[in-house]
Amino acid sequence: MFRLILQRLLALAPLLFIVSVLTFSFTSLLPSDPVDLILGDTGTEEQHEMLRERMGLNEPIHVRYLQWLGRALQGDLGSSYFNSVSVMGAVMQRLPVTLSLTAVSAFIAIVVGVAAGVAAALHPRSWVDRFATLGATFGQAIPNFWFGLILVAIFAVSLRWFPATGFTPITESPWEWLRSVILPSIALGTSSSAAIARQVRSAMVGVLQQDYVRAARAQGLSARRVLFKHALTNAMIPVVAVLSFQITVLLGGALIVEQVFAINGLGTLAIAAVRQQDIPMLQGLVLVMVGLVIAVQLATDVIYGLLNPKARPT
Amino acid sequence: MTVENAESAGAVGKPWRISASNVLVGVAVSILALLVFLAVFADVIAPYDPLRQNLINALQGPSARHWLGTDDLGRDVLSRLIYGCRIAVIAATEATAIAVALGVPIGLFIGYRGGWWDWVVMRIVEAIVSIPGIMVAIVIIAILGPGLHRAMIALGILFSTSFLRLARGVVLAEREEIYVRSARVIGASDSRILFRHIFPNIAPPLIVQVTLTVGAVLLSEAGLSFIGLGVQPPQASWGTMLNTAAAFMQLNWFLSIPPGIAIILTVLSVNLLGDVLRDSIGRGIAATAPEGRTATFEPSRSAASPAARPETRENEVLRVEGLEVMVGSDPGLPIITDLSFSIAQGETLGLVGESGSGKTMTGLAILGLMGAGLRITRGSIVLDGIDLRCLASAEIEKLRGDEVAMVFQDPTTSLNPAFTVGSQIAEVLRAKQGLSQRQAWDRAVALIERVGIPQPGARAKAYPHELSGGMAQRIAIARALSCNPSLLIADEPTTALDVTVQQEILDLFRDLQDEFGMAILFITHDLAVAADICDRISVMYAGEMVEMAGVDTLFHDPKHPYTAGLLSAMPHASDRNPPLPTIRGNVPRPGAWPAGCRFSNRCDFAVATCKQPVALTSGERMVRCLRADQLDLRPGT
Repeated sequence: MFRLILQRLLALAPLLFIVSVLTFSFTSLLPSDPVDLILGDTGTEEQHEMLRERMGLNEPIHVRYLQWLGRALQGDLGSSYFNSVSVMGAVMQRLPVTLSLTAVSAFIAIVVGVAAGVAAALHPRSWVDRFATLGATFGQAIPNFWFGLILVAIFAVSLRWFPATGFTPITESPWEWLRSVILPSIALGTSSSAAIARQVRSAMVGVLQQDYVRAARAQGLSARRVLFKHALTNAMIPVVAVLSFQITVLLGGALIVEQVFAINGLGTLAIAAVRQQDIPMLQGLVLVMVGLVIAVQLATDVIYGLLNPKARPT
Repeated sequence: MTVENAESAGAVGKPWRISASNVLVGVAVSILALLVFLAVFADVIAPYDPLRQNLINALQGPSARHWLGTDDLGRDVLSRLIYGCRIAVIAATEATAIAVALGVPIGLFIGYRGGWWDWVVMRIVEAIVSIPGIMVAIVIIAILGPGLHRAMIALGILFSTSFLRLARGVVLAEREEIYVRSARVIGASDSRILFRHIFPNIAPPLIVQVTLTVGAVLLSEAGLSFIGLGVQPPQASWGTMLNTAAAFMQLNWFLSIPPGIAIILTVLSVNLLGDVLRDSIGRGIAATAPEGRTATFEPSRSAASPAARPETRENEVLRVEGLEVMVGSDPGLPIITDLSFSIAQGETLGLVGESGSGKTMTGLAILGLMGAGLRITRGSIVLDGIDLRCLASAEIEKLRGDEVAMVFQDPTTSLNPAFTVGSQIAEVLRAKQGLSQRQAWDRAVALIERVGIPQPGARAKAYPHELSGGMAQRIAIARALSCNPSLLIADEPTTALDVTVQQEILDLFRDLQDEFGMAILFITHDLAVAADICDRISVMYAGEMVEMAGVDTLFHDPKHPYTAGLLSAMPHASDRNPPLPTIRGNVPRPGAWPAGCRFSNRCDFAVATCKQPVALTSGERMVRCLRADQLDLRPGT
């Protein structure tokens, strides 16, 4: 288990490095001059030059990158050009919001997706099967933010079951937290649940035809045990392999769905950073997101290894 | 909810799908044609100027003047929707074209060159793909600035990664093909090879990828415009319309409906066309499946004749009488007919025949695990004095493992790859005999030792893929015998193994039978193996038994021409030189069985009367041939 984690971690670490190089060099392409952004049209030529010197902008790009990387490794992602708050602080403040949406929508997507996929595999051409297929087709075509608007119209505006906007931190009230994230999470997670259901269905149909399923039944094990232990364990292997991709999609979707529910998460931060040409903020956001993606990838890799003995280090 | 019911999952009714999908394709094409038409002629068709404000008429519902109502500035929603079509078409075309123009050449190049270029570009692609797509677009928009065309450049760069990987993949696959190598040998230039020889192979997957990308671009454009980074107000796009709708949700929710429906219908249509294209391109590549032969079964079943009764044996464990198995709905197609045999304690009965003769199905019928669509329609299966056909499925489940167990052909697929072999044996012991975890594990290790595996404690913790085929089969045998069943069904248990290992496994069966005293139903197509291990042999052909006798009798004095044919097709170590005689033709499939004697169309001795149903003779020696008494089929005569 420990070796498995270590092995996957070593495989994923270079990715973070490459992303950091990419992020830094791309954001250096931003057309605006940060000194102009900060000082505006005011200030003399000397003041501009002084600030430029103090920010290290006169150094060559690779020196600036190394300085930035060194600070980033210590958890310092610089401070916003716009209001000089610490990037790390701003991101960490918004992170729980976006994480809540991503985690709850992933939970919904996995639970609903696996249940519907198994049911569809067991009863081909039944209503569950047709519904899962139809859901997957529509799930790919319905914009999640539009689905969010519709959910707001029905469940928040008309029925008043859930708040239409806002976010309550889980530390404040777990119940209110759940109420505030449930609609955006459904809006986000539905299309993923349909995609997962399709994968589970096809994996399960394949596994149920395997000899070991028949052999386990021949040994007198109950249908339920064979289905949920022997078949599902194997059917989940290919599903887990693509799960981190689904969660990455959810993370990206959360940035937009946040806007529907006026939730102050990473999405709002990113949109503001684009409008303000706030380079350190954008760099920090990309790095933190890739960090999240890598953490998810690591988790799914480990689960994959636990499910599939052939993928474990020997 | 049973496992068996799920097995026909692959079968999907084709005719219904084809006609329905034709209609759907027509609808999809019409929707896209309408979209393009509206985009081109928006100026003529739209009833109002999409930008003209009329604050007195703001946020109205649908009316005769404004079919889809007005927005917060009193602008006509229908007109804005129509102009939105133009944006959608421009966005999809622009971003997809950029993605193709950027991704395909780079992919072709790095795939063809390989080496450092390939390595560096692929690492960058991996990094981009690991960032959520919308964040990549946001960063690029930060560099380029917001706006329709800039946002589409951003999306084009984002989606170029999938075209890059696609083109690279095709090149890697084609580069080593013989025609490409020979083009290189005759001195064709690299660019000529790339564009003349390799590029045409990219076209089919490229078309499919384009449709997928168009759908994704439409959704992303709407998303970016929705958060204010794509199309900028006051210009009308579906995304900006939804942005407005979100702000006025409480006042007029209807604003969100028209642009939402427009996006969904467009993306659905594009995706549907993509699916159809992928299917038709895929069909072009895949080999055409053999056409299903029409069933020509005539209901002249031999079951009409009285079932022969196998003689009663001492300490009888299993007695099968007049068994008939059908596939499909009423009346169905017979798979096995009029099958009767019995096995006594400590005895091994061989079930021999070519593949397709119904041997494995017989074994599964005894276990009650034939699968969906198959059912026993006649006869009885009596195990230890209990008629299995009278039992509920839960009661049969109790007997499985305890009274009857099965060893399958391929041990590497009959053991679950996800669990250790020891735990798979222990699981059976816990479920069937209620042992504790500790007891079950100890017993599993003891069983593993009993089947002749050294270091049983360590081996128990191994996974199936870590064991050799012979060792895995020993494990499967240990699991089958874990609850000491009175009947063991062994379905070609040595066929998947090396010849040397085969002999060891056969010895193990004999050994274990001496110790446990179970009856064995040994299914094999290999007469030499059957001769080695069986006491009696029952020969099956096309779903029925044609002959049964003790091993020596059968080998020295076969009564049925099919048995004789099988015997003469057996290779002997001593006389290698003469070519092996074979039985001409194949076992006919169920539904294509000849009337009367089912072997008659392959039999050298067939006469006109063979077209009548033939009954099996009763007693110790059973044979199903009209001419059994006239023919002398002894080998060497």
